[in-house]
Amino acid sequence: MTTPFLSVRDLTVAFGTEDGVVHAVDGLSFDVEKGTTLGIVGESGSGKSVTNLAILGLHDPAYTKIGGEITLDGRELTRASPREMERLRGNKVAMIFQDPLTSLSPYHTVGRQIGETFRKHTGASRREARDRAIEMLRRVGIPHAASRVDDHPHQFSGGMRQRVMIAMALVCDPDLLIADEPTTALDVTVQAQILDLLKELQDQSGTAIIMVTHDLGVVARTAHEVLVMYAGRAIERGAVREVLGTPRHPYTWGLLSSMPKLRSPVDVPLVPVRGTPPSLINVPPGCPFHPRCDYTELAGPGLCRGERPELAPHRGHGDACYLTPAQKRTIFTEQIKDKL
Amino acid sequence: MTTPRKRAAASVAVIAAGALALSACAQGGGGGPAPSAAAGRSQDVQALTRISVGTAEDSRGPAAPEPGAVKGGTVNMIDRDDFSHLDPARIYLNYNATASKLFTRQLTEYKIGDDGSIKLVGDLAVDPGTTEDGGKTWRFTLKDGLKWQDGSPITTADVKHTFERIFAPFTPEGPPYAEQWLLPEGKEYTGPYDGEHLDTIKAVDEKTIEFTLNAPHPDFNFTVAMTGYGIVPEKHDTKEKYDRQPFSSGPYKIVSHVTDKSMDLERNEHWDPATDPIRNAYPDKWHMEFGVQALQSTDRFIADNGDDKNAMTFHNPVATERLQQVTGDPELMRRTVSGLTPYTTFYNINTSRIKDVRVRQAIIKAFPMQQVRQLQGGELGAGKYASTVMSPTVLGYESFDLYGQQTRPQGDPEAAKKLLAEAGQPNPTLVYAYNQTPTQEKTAVAIKTGLEKAGFKVVTKPLNPTTFYDAVGMVNNPYDVYWGGWAADWPTGFTSLSLTYDGRQIADQAPNYSHLNDPKVNAAIDEAAKITDPAEAGKAWARVDRMIMELAPIVPEFYQTYFGLYGSGLGGVEFDPITGEQSPTDVYVKQ
Amino acid sequence: MYHFLVRRILGALVILLIITAVTFFLFFAIPRDPARLACGKICPPETLELVRHNMGIDEPVFLQYWHWLAGIFAGREFTYGHCDAPCLGYSFVNQEPIFDAIVDRFPTTLSLTIGAAVVFLLFGVGTGMIAAARRGRAADKIASSASLVGASMQIYFVGVLATWVLVDRLRVLERPAYHDFTADPFAWAGGLLLPWLVLSIIFTANYTRMTRSSMVEQLSEDYVRTARAKGMSSRTVFLRFAWRGAMGPIITIFGVDLGTLLGGAIITEQTFSLHGIGELSIKAVVNQDLPMLLGVVLVSAAAIVVFNIVVDAAYAVIDPRVRLS
Repeated sequence: MTTPFLSVRDLTVAFGTEDGVVHAVDGLSFDVEKGTTLGIVGESGSGKSVTNLAILGLHDPAYTKIGGEITLDGRELTRASPREMERLRGNKVAMIFQDPLTSLSPYHTVGRQIGETFRKHTGASRREARDRAIEMLRRVGIPHAASRVDDHPHQFSGGMRQRVMIAMALVCDPDLLIADEPTTALDVTVQAQILDLLKELQDQSGTAIIMVTHDLGVVARTAHEVLVMYAGRAIERGAVREVLGTPRHPYTWGLLSSMPKLRSPVDVPLVPVRGTPPSLINVPPGCPFHPRCDYTELAGPGLCRGERPELAPHRGHGDACYLTPAQKRTIFTEQIKDKL
Repeated sequence: MTTPRKRAAASVAVIAAGALALSACAQGGGGGPAPSAAAGRSQDVQALTRISVGTAEDSRGPAAPEPGAVKGGTVNMIDRDDFSHLDPARIYLNYNATASKLFTRQLTEYKIGDDGSIKLVGDLAVDPGTTEDGGKTWRFTLKDGLKWQDGSPITTADVKHTFERIFAPFTPEGPPYAEQWLLPEGKEYTGPYDGEHLDTIKAVDEKTIEFTLNAPHPDFNFTVAMTGYGIVPEKHDTKEKYDRQPFSSGPYKIVSHVTDKSMDLERNEHWDPATDPIRNAYPDKWHMEFGVQALQSTDRFIADNGDDKNAMTFHNPVATERLQQVTGDPELMRRTVSGLTPYTTFYNINTSRIKDVRVRQAIIKAFPMQQVRQLQGGELGAGKYASTVMSPTVLGYESFDLYGQQTRPQGDPEAAKKLLAEAGQPNPTLVYAYNQTPTQEKTAVAIKTGLEKAGFKVVTKPLNPTTFYDAVGMVNNPYDVYWGGWAADWPTGFTSLSLTYDGRQIADQAPNYSHLNDPKVNAAIDEAAKITDPAEAGKAWARVDRMIMELAPIVPEFYQTYFGLYGSGLGGVEFDPITGEQSPTDVYVKQ
Repeated sequence: MYHFLVRRILGALVILLIITAVTFFLFFAIPRDPARLACGKICPPETLELVRHNMGIDEPVFLQYWHWLAGIFAGREFTYGHCDAPCLGYSFVNQEPIFDAIVDRFPTTLSLTIGAAVVFLLFGVGTGMIAAARRGRAADKIASSASLVGASMQIYFVGVLATWVLVDRLRVLERPAYHDFTADPFAWAGGLLLPWLVLSIIFTANYTRMTRSSMVEQLSEDYVRTARAKGMSSRTVFLRFAWRGAMGPIITIFGVDLGTLLGGAIITEQTFSLHGIGELSIKAVVNQDLPMLLGVVLVSAAAIVVFNIVVDAAYAVIDPRVRLS
């Protein structure tokens, strides 16, 4: 097997703060292949967004310590120069943010915002950039693209704005698109449209997509693989069908059972499991989930508090929990399955 | 500038206090008396000036030369304010008068001797005037060679015109004396412009002018020394506009004047020094710059750079912030002038409310003047302790101290208690009204504490600074003690005492704030006002002063002092005790 | 834009009308008499009446205000002179038409304001940008503490000290004075350099802090992150994106500051003996010179109102979300 298109190995991201060092991502590894979508799910603060910003190199080096490796198409990114990263961003790797209203500059026309990305990476003229912007707007399905290219973001509806955002992200045909909760701020029907649009664009260009969300419905709908994150670590990973169908980690169980129903609105705060996510400054020893876990006794005395359980390094469905596969199966089928 | 320490009425008024000096004394628009009083530590203020009426010989020009003085150069004058008026008939402020000495002459003027003596001499007149009927009819004879800035002669017609135009509606501001004294009983007069003239002012011939007053005023020759009676040319009287561009009779003429910014003077070639016993007029030019605060002028004099070497000020004092520096530096002290100004300050005792003289005397006895002066900046900041009504700068002034104010400035509550016991009122209540300013708040507490030691019950009543004088100026005001200030318009007892303590002049907003109305004092004032011999009159006024103080209508506070600095390139900068400012007449630029 | 301007200018005129009317009536509501002040030490009632008449304050207040308003369009006659339209009255004290006095003083105030504004805007925004770009590092800490020190300075203290050191002792700067710009631009700049610098110290600090905080705030905005995520250089992100957003509050304060300064930098003018609108206003208050007071109030109010409109218009230019309606 060849090297994956995007390979993240043992990624650590730590921020220095007044209260101490925040270990936002702590030993994360995953791969994404071209033409596929990886869904990353987890509560807020689990390290999803931090991971993506690390891939784009958007953390301020003055406050952030990044370890491990990020390899994109054979190129190591954590040690790339700021200039290299600048050339990469918006070009090979693009990102779509959660709230298109705040994420687009209110001061510039959408045409300009799309066009300047294009000009920056292709050296195109103003005219060409404008034409390209119109073309992109058309591609993402904005009616009357030629006349709307000079409008400002606030003149668009929420869904249209997210389309603008997507047009902007895709203007240089990136190989990797990171979508950070791209539909959270949108209402349900628009959500579906946007997800379909992304899928359609992926089919056309073979872009690899990282879909960050806390909405398992979105994952189910778009992703090929899924990565469940907790306290800056991956605790379960595998093909979407397997992870959502037969989840193995107690946290994933909680996450799944807390979903009111698949494809329901997501403005209900997500509280998957009792208790609160751990502080990332003082991460509990052993399994970071153990203080909230109902099954620590089952795993064996002191085991969950002792060593940190590792995610099996092999590909395929894996999880980081001391319960035996048999215990997991039993608990899932007997206690969890019905709640889903 | 001047008086942050002082009575400054409104807080804003503090900033520009001195501008309104004279009017402030009387009706207190709010400024507080003008120039900051401060005496150099090492230099004793000339406490006593000898004042006399000079002779024809004294009146002859040219002025006594300053030793070492040379002609030429430009003197720079820097001061806070522009001159509010230049038309003599509208001038009452000493600051305006000081400037006017350079381009306006009067019938008489004061000659300040090297020894500090003051002589009233003829300026335009050959002598300080003559009267043969006890001061009802006055004759002045003009000198030869007097010319206007265009070379035309100054005539008795001009003098007559000058005294007639003070009645015009557009000149209401200046002093009121001649206007009252020259108007015949029952006559209405609004100036010479519609061809009507006054018989009381008679040009006897080319040289002689005769005034007939409606009552004897033996010191009328002092009256006409006021700049308010400075000469105005009949032919070049531009009426309302004269205030902007006066026609020179003095050694300089105005070549440019930008309101609030600057004024430039050049020599008036037609002025003949031989006619002038006062003005030496050494410099060729004067450049005046306004808007310079006391702190800035002080710093500029201290730095003594460039043009500022040849700079003086008329009334900016040494800023209080720099007093220590200046008094501690012998080089700077050599460039200071100081002296007593004509201003006195005091606390009025409302005699229409406090009728028992012993209670009033007890107030003076108990008054904690030392603490009060401490709060207001000490001798440097406030002035010398006063114990009389008249200022030491007034002709005939006699030093006396009926209540031990000089010897016990901290107050004598025991003596006061005795007086109160004699009066049968051991605990009288006093209402003390004052300007509500931070300094006055503190002063009020000190006064209250001091007086209460003697058994008084003191109710302090803060008044709004803008309306303070209006409130205490009412005859039926409900206060017992309130501050006041006064300066004589000319240095005789007449304007020192008659306006302020003549019981027949009591009226709302009139200067008799203590409402003293004692028949004996009234009679003595009339008596003194009639005496023609100046020295005798002086003695008589000193007696009136003592009589008044025996009745205790005021608590004398301070004789104000002036302390100023000038540039090292100038010589002949002198203090003028008549105006309380630096004099421009003998200044020269050192070679 | 056109409608906006017309409506705002009409509104401004109404505001000015109200402000002058309030000034007028307040002036007379306070129990004091400018005539008493002008009249002199001994002022018999008849004389006082005459002074009042000469000042034009013997009429009912309403009528006086009406005359004042009418004078703006028709000019007026006074005892001491004629006053051409636009006549804002005739000073009780300076004895010149108010309009002339203001026209005479305004260039000083304008020069002081513009020069200082250039200095404090350049330095303030510049250091604020640097502090924001280097936030948390030495440059930021130096700029922040310097601006704290600057903000706590007082002009009458710094001004006097700076004059003493730079003019009196070291003689590296000229003594502050106003020279006509058209006659000699170098003398103009030389004479105002010290006031500009001193006045700027206080404002610079303010702008440094504001620029810094505004920039830091903008830099954490989502759209700035987007700009970086699409490969914009940090310079572009800083200047084209963050600065664009940070400008709003700075322009607002700048407009207010300019308006205030044009109404007269009272303390600065006093400290440096400059003859501007500030000096006029102090004199007007002290001397109870109502016409002058009205004149300077009108100028100050007009400056503030005008800059308010300018700021609003500028906002619309910067931020397309703002509509001028």
